[in-house]
Amino acid sequence: MTLPVLSIITWSPFVGALLIMFTARRRPLAVRLIAFFAAAVPLSLSLWLYGAYDREAAGFQFYEKVALVPPLGISYELGIDGMSLLLVLLTSIIIFAGVFASWTVATRSQEFYALLLALVTGVYGVFVSLDLFVFFLFYELAVLPMYLLIGIWGSSGEVKPRGLFAWAYRETGVGSKEYAAMKLTLYLLFGSAFILVGILALWVTGGATSFSFLDLESATFSPLVQRWTFLAFYVGFGILAGIWPLHTWSPDGHASAPTAVSMLHAGVLMKLGAYGVVRVGMGLLPQGAGDLAWLMGGIACINIVYGALSAMAQTDLKYVIAYSSVSHMGLVMLGAATLTEAGLNGSVFQMFAHGVMTGLFFALVGLVYEKAHSREIFKMGGFGRMMPAIAAAFTVAGLSSLGLPGTAGFVAEVLTFMGAWRSEHPWWLGPAVAGTLLTAVYVLRVTKQIFWSGPSPHFHHLEDARGPEWVAIVVLVFVLVCFGLMPGIAIGPVDTATVPLLARIIHP
Amino acid sequence: MSAFALELGLGALLGLVFVATLAARGEDRRWIGWIAVAGVFALGVVSLVVPPVEPVLHGMFVQDGLALFAKRLFLAATFIGLLAGIGQPGPGFARRAGEYYLLLLSSLLGMIVLASARELILLFVAFELMSIPLYVLAGFFKRREEAAEAALKFFLVGSVSSAIMAYGLSLVYGAAGTTDLAAVARTFAAGADPLLVLGLAATFAGFGFKIAAFPFHMWVPDTYEAAGTPFVAWLSVAPKAAGFVALFRVYFEGVGPAVSTWVSAAAGLATLTIVAGNLMALPQQNIKRLLAYSGIAHIGYMLVGFAAASASGTAMVLFYLVAYVFGNMGAFLVADAVSRAEGSESVAAFRGLAQRSPVLALAMLLFLLSLGGIPFVAGFWAKLYVFWAAASAGLYWLVFLGAVLTVVALFYYLLVAKRMYIEAPAVKTPLPIDPALAISVALCALGIVVLGVWPRAVVMAALHVASPLF
Repeated sequence: MTLPVLSIITWSPFVGALLIMFTARRRPLAVRLIAFFAAAVPLSLSLWLYGAYDREAAGFQFYEKVALVPPLGISYELGIDGMSLLLVLLTSIIIFAGVFASWTVATRSQEFYALLLALVTGVYGVFVSLDLFVFFLFYELAVLPMYLLIGIWGSSGEVKPRGLFAWAYRETGVGSKEYAAMKLTLYLLFGSAFILVGILALWVTGGATSFSFLDLESATFSPLVQRWTFLAFYVGFGILAGIWPLHTWSPDGHASAPTAVSMLHAGVLMKLGAYGVVRVGMGLLPQGAGDLAWLMGGIACINIVYGALSAMAQTDLKYVIAYSSVSHMGLVMLGAATLTEAGLNGSVFQMFAHGVMTGLFFALVGLVYEKAHSREIFKMGGFGRMMPAIAAAFTVAGLSSLGLPGTAGFVAEVLTFMGAWRSEHPWWLGPAVAGTLLTAVYVLRVTKQIFWSGPSPHFHHLEDARGPEWVAIVVLVFVLVCFGLMPGIAIGPVDTATVPLLARIIHP
Repeated sequence: MSAFALELGLGALLGLVFVATLAARGEDRRWIGWIAVAGVFALGVVSLVVPPVEPVLHGMFVQDGLALFAKRLFLAATFIGLLAGIGQPGPGFARRAGEYYLLLLSSLLGMIVLASARELILLFVAFELMSIPLYVLAGFFKRREEAAEAALKFFLVGSVSSAIMAYGLSLVYGAAGTTDLAAVARTFAAGADPLLVLGLAATFAGFGFKIAAFPFHMWVPDTYEAAGTPFVAWLSVAPKAAGFVALFRVYFEGVGPAVSTWVSAAAGLATLTIVAGNLMALPQQNIKRLLAYSGIAHIGYMLVGFAAASASGTAMVLFYLVAYVFGNMGAFLVADAVSRAEGSESVAAFRGLAQRSPVLALAMLLFLLSLGGIPFVAGFWAKLYVFWAAASAGLYWLVFLGAVLTVVALFYYLLVAKRMYIEAPAVKTPLPIDPALAISVALCALGIVVLGVWPRAVVMAALHVASPLF
């Protein structure tokens, strides 16, 4: 019998969470050590997987299956292809960095780490499960702990009620962590309602006897079902991927969340949404995806430009990064909507690149906030002298964000642009490129103001990164540059997954 | 004789409690409750071993799988409810405890007869036997003004509903010429006589009051707020379950393909009930009123399964009832523990509970998640299964509406979770909790977790008992 690697990856954070809850009461160091191991085991296994995955054979590998509810055909069925392989690696990198980035959480750290790790199990589970139903269970597990994580450990922003809707802002407490937590949770659960209806529709109309992706792929659905069900999945998963106009939970949520949670949420969870659209929506309903690609692409274009413009208007550092995620997720969705090999590869690569980059951004913003106790961009200045390492890493992330050659962001963007140009709607290239330019404007402006301008009168003697914080920064910068210089190591396996997917959409 | 084993046993228990009440002396007579608890437990064990038998009394009384399933559920709910109420404080409760148990058990007798009734008069009598003690129990704390008001409101609404129901049943008799439900079903299946449809529709209105479907729900929040919480916990689940079982008997059993008559009416009622219950729960600041309105919404979700008008729909409503019994009773009982300790039924009394009594807070969180339909606890499967049944019947719009409104429900459930987990407590000391109440909370929590992890046994049992109806 072979070792169930995927199960070990998926469940080891959960085991870590249980251990933390039951053994490490009031021992903060033990909590962190357990969390470290619970993140390191999946990281090393996913690196091993990355090497061991057979690129020639492609398809789903490391297959595991246990029947759960036989009469309904629900089974615990795991397997990964090139696409999920990369995303599992992304998750393990981000959580590993996240454990170090939140080393300094002081209040109720035991519960914090336990919830964080439980959530990560949900994320891994989504990426590796091949049973639609189990997929959905993991998806919910990945979404729900967010409420408490943001509500308890989050920080409230300084949003002043202004303008026409000032009264509504005051009434609902916009900017407070409770508001952000509730908004995020309800939006995402609203999305799950769509997903659940989609799953039931697939199951009832397909006449399939199981929820396995492999079985559902071979079932045939009428064009009407295809279109409506795809729409349900697109909206449901799309909410988590931050599609306009259902993206507004994401800036509030990411800005209020504690560092590790922002990293994980913007870095990995939003990709969960995009992955859902690609794997479930496009994979199971190819014809519906083909029919509605114009909608996906059009909305993605709005996302790119609207997100970038919103990011430009922000004065709060965390909101800038949060809106930049909305813009970049637009690129991910655009790549998928092009229905071309280059575009889809770019989309998956962008999921990875953006995940690492935004994880790094949020880690750094968290460090800056912890040292300077400010998120106001125009209050800060000249931090480059006081915290050179943080400044350098921030600049690297920023350059990747605007797509500088040599960083992972560049590869993703070029592939997506190529895809857009070759798609049926070449005009998509316009907004996509405009978005990149706008990104350059806001990223460079923020970087210059905070790190490379003259010293601000408000701050003296700020420290640079220390001890465990270095680990997070170094790991993420390394990955960002490494995948930028050698994109082939990621594109290779991804391509084995996207080509068959596209073949089903184009030649049904 | 074995067809009546449970009824006779409960009758004997009632006699025993009656004698104990007469014999009891002193100011604290709550010990009588232990007789009732032990008796109900014994009956529960008996209900697990008695087999289904052929209908007796010329088909008037049926002890089939459905009846047994329902009776086990009633006994389980009553066991938990009685146990939780044993340590109940309150003006005059200790001295009049015997009456409380006597009334509650009489109502239970009504329920278990109702589950077996397949004849209009027996059905009606059982229904009244179930209802009348409830009116008295709602006003049990008679010195409280609001209790008297609630009991009166409950009584007036309840008797009007009984009147409408009796009127409907008389029309049914007029159209079918018999009080035997099997014969009524045959008449209905043969062709939709307008008089018969009218009669059954009027009867539905009567049932609607009992299960508290919109627009027949007005008594619910006031009654729940004023009556004693352990009783309310039981009231919010057991009579509702009995109402649904009676609905299945009257509208589904033996009707055949003609059941589709009821689909659109039930779907409409489900829609209204879900929307109204969830929206009215939003502004509630009192935990019992909040749970009252959320309970109305849950009735709406069960009506979604009812609207599917199929064996799987019926089975899934039965499963939903089981999940609802544990989840809803559990939430009410935690609310009782908090209000006993804090002297307040406001949601604000839950502030910082997670740091004071983590286990109690976790139990409440599980109940709320179960009611909200979140995976890994029973409520998720319950909602999923009724949606599945409705989707199989082609009611996609109803599934979508129900699924979207669960998000509204989660909003108000999460507000309670926010009080418990996010806000800091005023005092750090653990909450004092009565051991009997703690055990019943633990039983409920165990129920929803076990059903959440392993729903299969109950689902299969529900499917098994529901399929003979069609």
